[in-house]
Amino acid sequence: MKNKRKSIFISITQFVLLAAILVPAVTLLLWIFTERWTWPDLAPQVFSKRAIFEIAGRKKELLQILWSSILISTVVAVLSAVIGIMTARAILLYRFPGKQVVYFFTILPFMVPATVFAMGIQITFIKMGLNNRITGVIIAHLICSLPYAIRLIMDGTAAVGSRLEEQARVLGASPFKAFYKTSLPMLMPVILSAVSMSYIVSFSQYFLTLMIGGGNVKTFTILMVPYLQSGNRNIACIYSTLFLGVTLLVFGVFEWAAGRFMKHGGGEFYTSE
Amino acid sequence: MKDKLMPYVLLAPQILLTLLFMIGLVTGITQSLGVIPAFGLKKPTLLYYKEVLSRPDMMRSVLYSLRIALFSSVLATAGGVFFCGVCVMGKKTQVAVMRIIQLPIIVPHVVTALFIINIFSRNGILARAAYALGMIQEQQQFPMLIYDPHGIGIIMAYLWKEIPFIIYFVIALMANINGSLGEAATNLGAKTWTVFWRVTLPLCRNTIISGFLIIFVFALGAYELPLLLGATVPKALPVLAYQEYIHPDLRNRPYAMALNGIIIAISLISSLLYFLMMRKSVKCLTEEQ
Repeated sequence: MKNKRKSIFISITQFVLLAAILVPAVTLLLWIFTERWTWPDLAPQVFSKRAIFEIAGRKKELLQILWSSILISTVVAVLSAVIGIMTARAILLYRFPGKQVVYFFTILPFMVPATVFAMGIQITFIKMGLNNRITGVIIAHLICSLPYAIRLIMDGTAAVGSRLEEQARVLGASPFKAFYKTSLPMLMPVILSAVSMSYIVSFSQYFLTLMIGGGNVKTFTILMVPYLQSGNRNIACIYSTLFLGVTLLVFGVFEWAAGRFMKHGGGEFYTSE
Repeated sequence: MKDKLMPYVLLAPQILLTLLFMIGLVTGITQSLGVIPAFGLKKPTLLYYKEVLSRPDMMRSVLYSLRIALFSSVLATAGGVFFCGVCVMGKKTQVAVMRIIQLPIIVPHVVTALFIINIFSRNGILARAAYALGMIQEQQQFPMLIYDPHGIGIIMAYLWKEIPFIIYFVIALMANINGSLGEAATNLGAKTWTVFWRVTLPLCRNTIISGFLIIFVFALGAYELPLLLGATVPKALPVLAYQEYIHPDLRNRPYAMALNGIIIAISLISSLLYFLMMRKSVKCLTEEQ
């Protein structure tokens, strides 16, 4: 009896959370087709496809922004994972002086907001000729996404350990081959999480992209903010849906690529039972 | 010999990026002390900090940002941990449910702002529902939930984003602990909630606090949501800092950096507290032994 009450309570909690997450997404879809929706009606009065046609007319510009957004975030995600693996291995598997200090500095960007960093680094980036360029934006994003990747991969590396790799070395594999054949497949779920997280950190970045990209480098957020400020909800909702869809697609590709690497397949980092 | 060099080879890209990051940070801090040789400002001074802290409008911004960050991160952490507990003890969270819960993590803050406008603005669904139910007669009677001086809209947007983040951050560890040590406590006769309070929660504490700190600092220094959902007065710290930063009079730049300095100071003080707490908890453990 008591167990039944508990499971009802759990179901209700889960339902409330899921509803809170999904209802806003529905408003997004609703607004795509809304032509007129005057106060105080609960549902829009007139639906149309006008906004969609308007955006379809700007296909060329849109495709370009889509491409540069995906390019920047994917490069940032992959570099974060690679550098994350290197740093995590250096900290966890080797002995060297100043290890604590190195660890502190890798996590430091968590404690300094991106806005503060962006305003401080702009002058340096201008001097280095990185401002207004995709390379500069990628480097800046990388600095912000790296702590997330390192944290995840360090947990993974600590759990996997180095025993299997050492075994492979003893059996005659080269250091890289030993890593590639033993640790890498086992780390894959965690690497997938790190790649996804870094992609998101880069993809959501507005201020840093604005400062370093200087309006030259156009990404999704740079495109969105003016529409939100001017209150053009139709267009904003279509762009949002489009870009979220593309993000999910990209994640699908990441998962597929990771799955090819893993022995057991299935990239879930958390499944209960 | 080769093994001695290896860690440094592995760390090379990390060190390069860290150097770049530190250049940004140090530049910001020296500029906040009024040292910008290019503009003919050379003598370090605390004047800008003093001025920023004594101007009432800027002080209001500091409090406004601090309140938003504190409210959103405390509520998000509490909500996220609560949900983790419910999930872990139920032991029947499907993969599909977890996927949906992770959805807000991939949604950029800009889009979250759009959601909040769609639902909570005076033209939004909630206001219309209140009218349909006869709770209000006019649009103006609906409370200002966004663009309001208390930052309610901003806090709600952060909650929508950060509760799932905390769940994502904590749940793997919590499931692990609950499965091993929690199981043991249950076998010894402890009740479900006792297990949660006395075993699972204390063991997850460090992870929970670091998750809390990440979202606290993020909310303190984020620009998008206060820009899109905030009131005209008071402005959030980063918004105000950027306004001073792009001021046509370049001598205003130290003010921007001083505001940034305040953000850094608050973040660093909170992380320092975190480290002190961690040290204390280690001491407690050793004393009990």
